[in-house]
Amino acid sequence: MNCQRVQETFVDYQAGTLSAAESAAVREHLKICLTCQREWAGLQETLLQLDRLPPEEPSERLRTNFYAMLDTHLRQAREPSPFALMHNRLDRFFENLVPTRPALQFALSTVLLVAGVIVGARYLQPAAPTPQAADPATKSQLAELQQKFDSMSQLVAYSLAQQQPANTRLQQIAATLAHGDADAKTLAGLVSTLAFDPSTNVRLSALEALYAHADRPLVRQGVLASLPRENSPLVQLAMIDFLTSVRDRDAAPAFEALTRDAAIDIAVRDAAQRALVQL
Amino acid sequence: MVESTEETIAVDPVETTDHDLMLAVRAGEIARLGDLFERYHRPLYGFFVRLTGQRTASEDLVQLVFYRILKYRHTYRDEGKFSAWIYHLARKVAADHFRKNAHAPVSLNEPDDLHEVPDHAPHAAEQAAQADDLALMHRALGALPLEQRELLTLHRFHNVHHEELARLFDCSVGAVKVRMHRALGALREHYFKLRQERAA
Repeated sequence: MNCQRVQETFVDYQAGTLSAAESAAVREHLKICLTCQREWAGLQETLLQLDRLPPEEPSERLRTNFYAMLDTHLRQAREPSPFALMHNRLDRFFENLVPTRPALQFALSTVLLVAGVIVGARYLQPAAPTPQAADPATKSQLAELQQKFDSMSQLVAYSLAQQQPANTRLQQIAATLAHGDADAKTLAGLVSTLAFDPSTNVRLSALEALYAHADRPLVRQGVLASLPRENSPLVQLAMIDFLTSVRDRDAAPAFEALTRDAAIDIAVRDAAQRALVQL
Repeated sequence: MVESTEETIAVDPVETTDHDLMLAVRAGEIARLGDLFERYHRPLYGFFVRLTGQRTASEDLVQLVFYRILKYRHTYRDEGKFSAWIYHLARKVAADHFRKNAHAPVSLNEPDDLHEVPDHAPHAAEQAAQADDLALMHRALGALPLEQRELLTLHRFHNVHHEELARLFDCSVGAVKVRMHRALGALREHYFKLRQERAA
Protein backbone atom coordinates (compact mmCIF):
# COMPACT_ATOMS: atom_id res chain seq x y z
CA MET A 1 0.00 0.00 0.00
CA ASN A 2 1.27 3.46 -0.86
CA CYS A 3 0.68 6.56 1.30
CA GLN A 4 -2.29 7.87 -0.72
CA ARG A 5 -4.09 4.52 -0.61
CA VAL A 6 -3.43 4.20 3.13
CA GLN A 7 -4.75 7.69 3.85
CA GLU A 8 -7.87 7.04 1.78
CA THR A 9 -8.66 4.05 3.98
CA PHE A 10 -8.30 6.03 7.24
CA VAL A 11 -12.07 6.61 7.51
CA ASP A 12 -12.81 2.89 7.29
CA TYR A 13 -9.77 2.01 9.40
CA GLN A 14 -10.96 4.32 12.14
CA ALA A 15 -14.52 2.95 11.91
CA GLY A 16 -13.22 -0.63 11.97
CA THR A 17 -14.90 -1.51 8.69
CA LEU A 18 -11.73 -2.61 6.87
CA SER A 19 -11.01 -6.29 6.31
CA ALA A 20 -8.46 -7.93 8.63
CA ALA A 21 -5.85 -8.07 5.87
CA GLU A 22 -6.32 -4.40 4.96
CA SER A 23 -6.21 -3.32 8.60
CA ALA A 24 -2.95 -5.25 9.07
CA ALA A 25 -1.50 -3.61 5.96
CA VAL A 26 -2.44 -0.14 7.24
CA ARG A 27 -0.93 -0.92 10.67
CA GLU A 28 2.30 -2.13 9.10
CA HIS A 29 2.51 0.96 6.92
CA LEU A 30 1.90 3.29 9.87
CA LYS A 31 4.83 1.70 11.73
CA ILE A 32 7.29 2.78 9.09
CA CYS A 33 5.80 5.94 7.47
CA LEU A 34 6.20 9.20 9.39
CA THR A 35 4.03 11.19 6.95
CA CYS A 36 1.10 8.81 7.37
CA GLN A 37 1.64 8.73 11.12
CA ARG A 38 1.25 12.53 11.20
CA GLU A 39 -1.84 12.34 8.97
CA TRP A 40 -3.37 9.62 11.12
CA ALA A 41 -2.69 11.53 14.36
CA GLY A 42 -4.17 14.73 12.89
CA LEU A 43 -7.27 12.89 11.72
CA GLN A 44 -7.69 11.21 15.10
CA GLU A 45 -7.51 14.53 16.89
CA THR A 46 -9.92 16.17 14.44
CA LEU A 47 -12.45 13.39 14.83
CA LEU A 48 -12.04 13.43 18.59
CA GLN A 49 -12.84 17.14 18.73
CA LEU A 50 -15.65 16.80 16.22
CA ASP A 51 -17.30 14.03 18.21
CA ARG A 52 -16.92 16.07 21.39
CA LEU A 53 -19.21 18.78 20.06
CA PRO A 54 -22.13 18.56 22.46
CA PRO A 55 -25.63 17.73 21.24
CA GLU A 56 -27.90 20.66 20.65
CA GLU A 57 -31.17 21.00 22.55
CA PRO A 58 -34.03 22.96 21.04
CA SER A 59 -36.06 25.34 23.17
CA GLU A 60 -39.64 24.64 24.25
CA ARG A 61 -40.74 27.04 21.53
CA LEU A 62 -40.20 24.32 18.88
CA ARG A 63 -42.53 21.86 20.61
CA THR A 64 -45.18 24.55 21.21
CA ASN A 65 -45.11 25.67 17.59
CA PHE A 66 -45.22 22.12 16.25
CA TYR A 67 -48.26 21.09 18.30
CA ALA A 68 -50.03 24.32 17.36
CA MET A 69 -49.48 23.44 13.69
CA LEU A 70 -50.66 19.87 14.29
CA ASP A 71 -53.82 21.11 16.04
CA THR A 72 -54.59 23.38 13.11
CA HIS A 73 -54.29 20.45 10.70
CA LEU A 74 -56.42 18.22 12.93
CA ARG A 75 -59.17 20.85 13.11
CA GLN A 76 -59.11 21.28 9.34
CA ALA A 77 -59.32 17.51 8.92
CA ARG A 78 -62.34 17.30 11.21
CA GLU A 79 -64.21 20.20 9.61
CA PRO A 80 -65.93 18.95 6.48
CA SER A 81 -65.10 20.94 3.39
CA PRO A 82 -67.87 22.65 1.32
CA PHE A 83 -67.26 20.08 -1.40
CA ALA A 84 -67.84 17.23 1.07
CA LEU A 85 -71.06 18.90 2.27
CA MET A 86 -72.35 19.20 -1.29
CA HIS A 87 -71.40 15.58 -1.93
CA ASN A 88 -73.37 14.45 1.11
CA ARG A 89 -76.44 16.41 0.03
CA LEU A 90 -76.31 14.83 -3.43
CA ASP A 91 -75.97 11.41 -1.86
CA ARG A 92 -79.02 12.02 0.34
CA PHE A 93 -81.03 13.30 -2.64
CA PHE A 94 -80.41 10.11 -4.61
CA GLU A 95 -81.00 7.97 -1.55
CA ASN A 96 -84.50 9.49 -1.23
CA LEU A 97 -85.24 8.81 -4.88
CA VAL A 98 -84.47 5.11 -4.74
CA PRO A 99 -86.57 2.73 -2.58
CA THR A 100 -84.73 1.05 0.26
CA ARG A 101 -86.50 -2.35 0.24
CA PRO A 102 -84.94 -4.90 -2.14
CA ALA A 103 -88.32 -6.04 -3.49
CA LEU A 104 -89.24 -2.47 -4.44
CA GLN A 105 -85.78 -1.92 -5.94
CA PHE A 106 -86.28 -5.03 -8.09
CA ALA A 107 -89.74 -3.90 -9.18
CA LEU A 108 -88.46 -0.44 -10.07
CA SER A 109 -85.58 -1.91 -12.06
CA THR A 110 -87.96 -4.20 -13.98
CA VAL A 111 -90.33 -1.34 -14.79
CA LEU A 112 -87.43 0.81 -16.01
CA LEU A 113 -86.08 -2.05 -18.15
CA VAL A 114 -89.47 -2.77 -19.80
CA ALA A 115 -90.07 0.93 -20.37
CA GLY A 116 -86.62 1.23 -21.95
CA VAL A 117 -87.25 -1.69 -24.32
CA ILE A 118 -90.65 -0.29 -25.39
CA VAL A 119 -89.33 3.20 -25.97
CA GLY A 120 -86.34 1.85 -27.85
CA ALA A 121 -88.49 -0.35 -30.12
CA ARG A 122 -90.88 2.53 -30.77
CA TYR A 123 -88.52 5.40 -31.45
CA LEU A 124 -85.02 4.05 -32.10
CA GLN A 125 -85.52 1.88 -35.22
CA PRO A 126 -82.54 2.24 -37.50
CA ALA A 127 -83.37 4.04 -40.75
CA ALA A 128 -81.45 1.92 -43.23
CA PRO A 129 -80.97 3.70 -46.56
CA THR A 130 -82.70 1.89 -49.46
CA PRO A 131 -81.02 1.46 -52.82
CA GLN A 132 -83.77 3.55 -54.39
CA ALA A 133 -82.88 6.45 -52.17
CA ALA A 134 -79.37 6.66 -53.59
CA ASP A 135 -78.77 9.42 -56.12
CA PRO A 136 -77.45 8.67 -59.68
CA ALA A 137 -73.89 9.74 -58.83
CA THR A 138 -73.76 7.32 -55.92
CA LYS A 139 -75.21 4.60 -58.10
CA SER A 140 -72.54 5.01 -60.75
CA GLN A 141 -69.83 5.01 -58.09
CA LEU A 142 -71.27 1.83 -56.61
CA ALA A 143 -71.41 0.20 -60.07
CA GLU A 144 -67.80 1.17 -60.71
CA LEU A 145 -66.75 -0.25 -57.39
CA GLN A 146 -68.66 -3.46 -58.12
CA GLN A 147 -66.90 -3.77 -61.49
CA LYS A 148 -63.50 -3.24 -59.88
CA PHE A 149 -64.36 -5.78 -57.26
CA ASP A 150 -65.41 -8.34 -59.88
CA SER A 151 -62.26 -7.91 -61.94
CA MET A 152 -60.17 -8.15 -58.79
CA SER A 153 -62.02 -11.34 -57.86
CA GLN A 154 -61.33 -12.78 -61.29
CA LEU A 155 -57.68 -11.94 -61.06
CA VAL A 156 -57.42 -13.52 -57.62
CA ALA A 157 -59.31 -16.60 -58.78
CA TYR A 158 -57.06 -16.91 -61.82
CA SER A 159 -53.93 -16.42 -59.71
CA LEU A 160 -55.09 -19.17 -57.41
CA ALA A 161 -55.84 -21.41 -60.39
CA GLN A 162 -52.29 -20.81 -61.65
CA GLN A 163 -50.96 -22.52 -58.55
CA GLN A 164 -52.46 -25.81 -59.73
CA PRO A 165 -50.66 -28.19 -62.15
CA ALA A 166 -51.33 -27.94 -65.89
CA ASN A 167 -53.25 -31.24 -66.12
CA THR A 168 -55.63 -30.00 -63.36
CA ARG A 169 -56.19 -26.79 -65.29
CA LEU A 170 -56.92 -28.86 -68.41
CA GLN A 171 -59.44 -30.92 -66.45
CA GLN A 172 -61.16 -27.74 -65.32
CA ILE A 173 -61.45 -26.58 -68.93
CA ALA A 174 -62.83 -29.99 -69.91
CA ALA A 175 -65.44 -29.60 -67.16
CA THR A 176 -66.31 -26.19 -68.61
CA LEU A 177 -66.75 -27.77 -72.02
CA ALA A 178 -69.25 -30.21 -70.54
CA HIS A 179 -71.46 -27.28 -69.53
CA GLY A 180 -73.12 -25.96 -72.60
CA ASP A 181 -74.60 -22.96 -70.93
CA ALA A 182 -71.52 -21.26 -69.52
CA ASP A 183 -72.17 -17.93 -67.85
CA ALA A 184 -70.21 -14.73 -68.38
CA LYS A 185 -68.00 -15.45 -65.40
CA THR A 186 -66.92 -18.82 -66.72
CA LEU A 187 -66.27 -17.36 -70.17
CA ALA A 188 -64.19 -14.57 -68.63
CA GLY A 189 -62.17 -17.24 -66.84
CA LEU A 190 -61.54 -19.06 -70.11
CA VAL A 191 -60.49 -15.82 -71.84
CA SER A 192 -58.10 -15.11 -68.95
CA THR A 193 -56.65 -18.61 -69.30
CA LEU A 194 -56.17 -18.01 -73.02
CA ALA A 195 -54.42 -14.73 -72.34
CA PHE A 196 -52.22 -15.61 -69.38
CA ASP A 197 -51.77 -19.33 -68.90
CA PRO A 198 -48.10 -20.31 -69.35
CA SER A 199 -48.94 -23.70 -70.90
CA THR A 200 -49.51 -23.79 -74.68
CA ASN A 201 -51.71 -26.87 -74.35
CA VAL A 202 -53.90 -25.21 -71.75
CA ARG A 203 -54.26 -22.07 -73.88
CA LEU A 204 -55.18 -24.19 -76.91
CA SER A 205 -57.75 -26.08 -74.86
CA ALA A 206 -59.21 -22.81 -73.60
CA LEU A 207 -59.53 -21.56 -77.16
CA GLU A 208 -61.18 -24.81 -78.16
CA ALA A 209 -63.65 -24.41 -75.30
CA LEU A 210 -64.41 -20.87 -76.44
CA TYR A 211 -65.42 -22.09 -79.94
CA ALA A 212 -68.80 -23.13 -78.54
CA HIS A 213 -69.44 -19.54 -77.50
CA ALA A 214 -67.87 -17.75 -80.47
CA ASP A 215 -71.11 -15.87 -81.08
CA ARG A 216 -70.67 -13.92 -77.79
CA PRO A 217 -69.00 -10.53 -78.28
CA LEU A 218 -67.21 -10.99 -74.95
CA VAL A 219 -65.48 -14.11 -76.28
CA ARG A 220 -64.53 -12.55 -79.62
CA GLN A 221 -63.13 -9.47 -77.98
CA GLY A 222 -61.19 -11.61 -75.52
CA VAL A 223 -59.57 -13.70 -78.25
CA LEU A 224 -58.77 -10.61 -80.27
CA ALA A 225 -57.20 -8.90 -77.27
CA SER A 226 -55.12 -12.01 -76.52
CA LEU A 227 -53.72 -12.31 -80.04
CA PRO A 228 -51.04 -9.55 -79.90
CA ARG A 229 -49.59 -10.91 -76.65
CA GLU A 230 -49.50 -14.50 -77.84
CA ASN A 231 -46.03 -15.74 -78.77
CA SER A 232 -46.69 -19.37 -79.63
CA PRO A 233 -47.19 -19.88 -83.41
CA LEU A 234 -49.53 -22.81 -82.72
CA VAL A 235 -51.88 -20.76 -80.60
CA GLN A 236 -51.53 -17.74 -82.93
CA LEU A 237 -52.66 -19.92 -85.86
CA ALA A 238 -55.58 -21.28 -83.85
CA MET A 239 -56.64 -17.77 -82.86
CA ILE A 240 -56.49 -16.57 -86.48
CA ASP A 241 -58.66 -19.54 -87.50
CA PHE A 242 -61.10 -18.73 -84.68
CA LEU A 243 -61.45 -15.06 -85.62
CA THR A 244 -61.71 -15.90 -89.34
CA SER A 245 -64.41 -18.49 -88.70
CA VAL A 246 -66.58 -15.96 -86.88
CA ARG A 247 -65.86 -13.29 -89.53
CA ASP A 248 -64.82 -10.77 -87.00
CA ARG A 249 -63.96 -7.65 -89.01
CA ASP A 250 -62.54 -6.01 -85.95
CA ALA A 251 -59.67 -8.48 -86.23
CA ALA A 252 -58.37 -6.97 -89.50
CA PRO A 253 -55.98 -4.43 -87.92
CA ALA A 254 -54.53 -7.17 -85.70
CA PHE A 255 -54.00 -9.43 -88.72
CA GLU A 256 -52.30 -6.63 -90.65
CA ALA A 257 -50.01 -6.02 -87.75
CA LEU A 258 -49.05 -9.69 -87.75
CA THR A 259 -48.24 -9.68 -91.45
CA ARG A 260 -45.94 -6.68 -91.00
CA ASP A 261 -44.07 -8.08 -88.02
CA ALA A 262 -40.91 -9.80 -89.26
CA ALA A 263 -40.37 -11.44 -85.89
CA ILE A 264 -43.52 -13.51 -86.31
CA ASP A 265 -43.29 -17.02 -87.70
CA ILE A 266 -43.72 -17.07 -91.49
CA ALA A 267 -46.56 -19.61 -91.29
CA VAL A 268 -48.45 -17.31 -88.98
CA ARG A 269 -47.89 -14.30 -91.24
CA ASP A 270 -49.18 -16.30 -94.22
CA ALA A 271 -52.23 -17.40 -92.27
CA ALA A 272 -52.90 -13.78 -91.27
CA GLN A 273 -52.58 -12.73 -94.90
CA ARG A 274 -55.08 -15.38 -95.97
CA ALA A 275 -57.44 -14.42 -93.20
CA LEU A 276 -57.38 -10.79 -94.31
CA VAL A 277 -58.44 -11.87 -97.75
CA GLN A 278 -61.28 -13.97 -96.33
CA LEU A 279 -62.52 -11.10 -94.16
CA MET B 1 -17.33 5.70 14.50
CA VAL B 2 -18.00 7.31 17.82
CA GLU B 3 -21.56 6.80 18.99
CA SER B 4 -23.21 10.14 19.53
CA THR B 5 -25.20 10.64 22.68
CA GLU B 6 -28.67 12.18 22.69
CA GLU B 7 -28.82 12.65 18.95
CA THR B 8 -28.74 8.95 18.15
CA ILE B 9 -32.22 7.76 17.25
CA ALA B 10 -33.11 5.12 19.82
CA VAL B 11 -36.27 3.22 18.97
CA ASP B 12 -37.52 0.47 21.22
CA PRO B 13 -38.15 -2.51 18.94
CA VAL B 14 -41.43 -3.33 20.69
CA GLU B 15 -42.70 0.17 19.94
CA THR B 16 -44.37 1.03 16.68
CA THR B 17 -41.72 1.57 14.04
CA ASP B 18 -41.18 4.92 12.33
CA HIS B 19 -42.38 3.34 9.14
CA ASP B 20 -45.67 2.16 10.70
CA LEU B 21 -46.24 5.57 12.27
CA MET B 22 -45.68 7.26 8.94
CA LEU B 23 -48.04 4.85 7.18
CA ALA B 24 -50.68 5.77 9.77
CA VAL B 25 -50.07 9.48 9.13
CA ARG B 26 -50.31 8.86 5.41
CA ALA B 27 -53.60 7.04 5.95
CA GLY B 28 -55.03 10.11 7.71
CA GLU B 29 -54.12 9.57 11.37
CA ILE B 30 -52.44 12.95 11.50
CA ALA B 31 -52.13 12.92 15.30
CA ARG B 32 -49.51 10.13 14.99
CA LEU B 33 -47.14 12.73 13.60
CA GLY B 34 -46.67 13.79 17.23
CA ASP B 35 -44.88 10.47 17.92
CA LEU B 36 -42.57 11.00 14.99
CA PHE B 37 -41.90 14.55 16.17
CA GLU B 38 -40.86 13.27 19.61
CA ARG B 39 -38.42 10.83 17.98
CA TYR B 40 -36.90 13.10 15.39
CA HIS B 41 -37.07 16.75 16.39
CA ARG B 42 -33.83 16.69 18.39
CA PRO B 43 -31.71 14.98 15.71
CA LEU B 44 -33.14 17.29 13.09
CA TYR B 45 -32.51 20.33 15.24
CA GLY B 46 -28.88 19.21 15.76
CA PHE B 47 -28.50 18.69 12.03
CA PHE B 48 -29.74 22.19 11.23
CA VAL B 49 -27.66 23.86 13.97
CA ARG B 50 -24.52 22.19 12.60
CA LEU B 51 -25.41 23.42 9.12
CA THR B 52 -26.61 26.94 9.86
CA GLY B 53 -25.03 27.80 13.21
CA GLN B 54 -28.33 29.51 14.11
CA ARG B 55 -30.62 28.19 16.82
CA THR B 56 -33.82 30.09 16.12
CA ALA B 57 -33.59 29.48 12.38
CA SER B 58 -32.92 25.79 13.06
CA GLU B 59 -36.12 25.50 15.10
CA ASP B 60 -38.05 27.06 12.24
CA LEU B 61 -36.44 24.64 9.80
CA VAL B 62 -37.41 21.62 11.95
CA GLN B 63 -40.97 22.92 11.99
CA LEU B 64 -40.84 23.27 8.21
CA VAL B 65 -39.70 19.65 7.80
CA PHE B 66 -42.72 18.39 9.77
CA TYR B 67 -45.00 20.72 7.85
CA ARG B 68 -43.69 19.20 4.60
CA ILE B 69 -44.19 15.68 5.96
CA LEU B 70 -47.86 16.55 6.43
CA LYS B 71 -48.10 18.20 3.06
CA TYR B 72 -46.33 15.45 1.11
CA ARG B 73 -47.41 12.48 3.26
CA HIS B 74 -49.08 10.84 0.24
CA THR B 75 -45.70 10.61 -1.50
CA TYR B 76 -44.23 8.42 1.25
CA ARG B 77 -43.59 4.98 -0.24
CA ASP B 78 -44.19 1.70 1.53
CA GLU B 79 -40.74 0.33 0.78
CA GLY B 80 -39.00 3.50 1.87
CA LYS B 81 -37.02 3.89 5.06
CA PHE B 82 -38.46 6.72 7.11
CA SER B 83 -35.14 8.08 8.42
CA ALA B 84 -33.80 8.31 4.88
CA TRP B 85 -36.95 10.12 3.78
CA ILE B 86 -36.94 12.63 6.62
CA TYR B 87 -33.26 13.48 6.08
CA HIS B 88 -33.97 13.82 2.39
CA LEU B 89 -36.66 16.38 3.25
CA ALA B 90 -34.33 18.05 5.75
CA ARG B 91 -31.61 18.46 3.13
CA LYS B 92 -34.11 20.06 0.76
CA VAL B 93 -35.33 22.42 3.50
CA ALA B 94 -31.72 23.38 4.30
CA ALA B 95 -30.95 23.95 0.61
CA ASP B 96 -34.01 26.22 0.31
CA HIS B 97 -32.90 28.11 3.43
CA PHE B 98 -29.42 28.73 2.05
CA ARG B 99 -30.84 29.74 -1.32
CA LYS B 100 -33.09 32.34 0.30
CA ASN B 101 -30.31 33.57 2.58
CA ALA B 102 -27.48 33.41 0.07
CA HIS B 103 -26.32 36.89 1.11
CA ALA B 104 -25.99 35.84 4.77
CA PRO B 105 -22.95 33.59 5.31
CA VAL B 106 -23.02 30.72 7.77
CA SER B 107 -22.25 31.85 11.28
CA LEU B 108 -18.70 30.82 12.04
CA ASN B 109 -19.15 31.70 15.65
CA GLU B 110 -20.60 29.14 17.96
CA PRO B 111 -24.14 29.78 19.13
CA ASP B 112 -24.45 31.37 22.56
CA ASP B 113 -24.30 28.95 25.47
CA LEU B 114 -23.23 26.22 23.08
CA HIS B 115 -20.79 24.51 25.36
CA GLU B 116 -21.43 23.85 28.97
CA VAL B 117 -18.24 23.05 30.84
CA PRO B 118 -18.07 19.25 31.17
CA ASP B 119 -18.50 18.05 34.74
CA HIS B 120 -15.78 15.44 34.49
CA ALA B 121 -13.00 17.92 33.56
CA PRO B 122 -10.58 17.86 36.46
CA HIS B 123 -9.25 21.40 36.39
CA ALA B 124 -10.67 24.78 35.46
CA ALA B 125 -7.78 25.51 33.09
CA GLU B 126 -8.32 22.26 31.21
CA GLN B 127 -12.04 22.92 31.03
CA ALA B 128 -11.43 26.34 29.52
CA ALA B 129 -8.94 24.95 26.98
CA GLN B 130 -11.36 22.21 25.95
CA ALA B 131 -14.23 24.67 25.52
CA ASP B 132 -11.90 26.80 23.46
CA ASP B 133 -10.97 23.84 21.22
CA LEU B 134 -14.64 22.95 20.73
CA ALA B 135 -15.37 26.53 19.71
CA LEU B 136 -12.59 26.25 17.10
CA MET B 137 -14.00 22.96 15.85
CA HIS B 138 -17.41 24.57 15.53
CA ARG B 139 -15.91 27.37 13.46
CA ALA B 140 -13.91 24.90 11.35
CA LEU B 141 -17.07 22.93 10.63
CA GLY B 142 -18.94 26.11 9.72
CA ALA B 143 -16.19 27.03 7.25
CA LEU B 144 -16.76 23.87 5.16
CA PRO B 145 -18.93 23.82 2.03
CA LEU B 146 -22.55 22.84 2.69
CA GLU B 147 -22.28 19.33 1.25
CA GLN B 148 -19.24 18.48 3.37
CA ARG B 149 -21.00 19.79 6.48
CA GLU B 150 -24.07 17.70 5.66
CA LEU B 151 -21.97 14.62 5.06
CA LEU B 152 -19.94 14.90 8.27
CA THR B 153 -22.95 15.83 10.40
CA LEU B 154 -25.11 12.98 9.17
CA HIS B 155 -22.30 10.46 9.46
CA ARG B 156 -20.73 11.50 12.77
CA PHE B 157 -23.76 12.77 14.74
CA HIS B 158 -26.67 10.84 13.28
CA ASN B 159 -25.04 7.48 12.54
CA VAL B 160 -26.18 7.53 8.93
CA HIS B 161 -24.18 4.78 7.24
CA HIS B 162 -22.35 4.98 3.95
CA GLU B 163 -25.04 3.04 2.07
CA GLU B 164 -27.79 5.39 3.21
CA LEU B 165 -25.61 8.43 2.52
CA ALA B 166 -25.06 7.12 -0.98
CA ARG B 167 -28.85 7.07 -1.51
CA LEU B 168 -29.28 10.53 0.04
CA PHE B 169 -26.50 12.07 -2.03
CA ASP B 170 -27.45 10.05 -5.11
CA CYS B 171 -24.00 8.55 -5.65
CA SER B 172 -22.11 5.29 -5.06
CA VAL B 173 -20.79 4.12 -1.69
CA GLY B 174 -17.28 4.52 -3.02
CA ALA B 175 -17.99 8.13 -3.97
CA VAL B 176 -19.36 8.75 -0.45
CA LYS B 177 -16.13 7.44 1.08
CA VAL B 178 -14.03 9.63 -1.19
CA ARG B 179 -16.14 12.69 -0.29
CA MET B 180 -15.91 11.81 3.39
CA HIS B 181 -12.13 11.56 3.13
CA ARG B 182 -11.97 14.98 1.46
CA ALA B 183 -14.40 16.51 3.99
CA LEU B 184 -12.34 15.24 6.93
CA GLY B 185 -9.15 16.50 5.31
CA ALA B 186 -10.69 19.95 4.83
CA LEU B 187 -12.02 19.99 8.40
CA ARG B 188 -8.63 19.04 9.78
CA GLU B 189 -6.95 21.73 7.70
CA HIS B 190 -9.37 24.44 8.94
CA TYR B 191 -9.18 23.26 12.52
CA PHE B 192 -5.38 23.23 12.73
CA LYS B 193 -5.15 26.55 10.91
CA LEU B 194 -7.49 28.13 13.49
CA ARG B 195 -5.43 26.61 16.29
CA GLN B 196 -2.25 28.06 14.82
CA GLU B 197 -3.90 31.48 14.51
CA ARG B 198 -4.99 31.29 18.13
CA ALA B 199 -1.48 30.35 19.27
CA ALA B 200 0.12 33.16 17.27
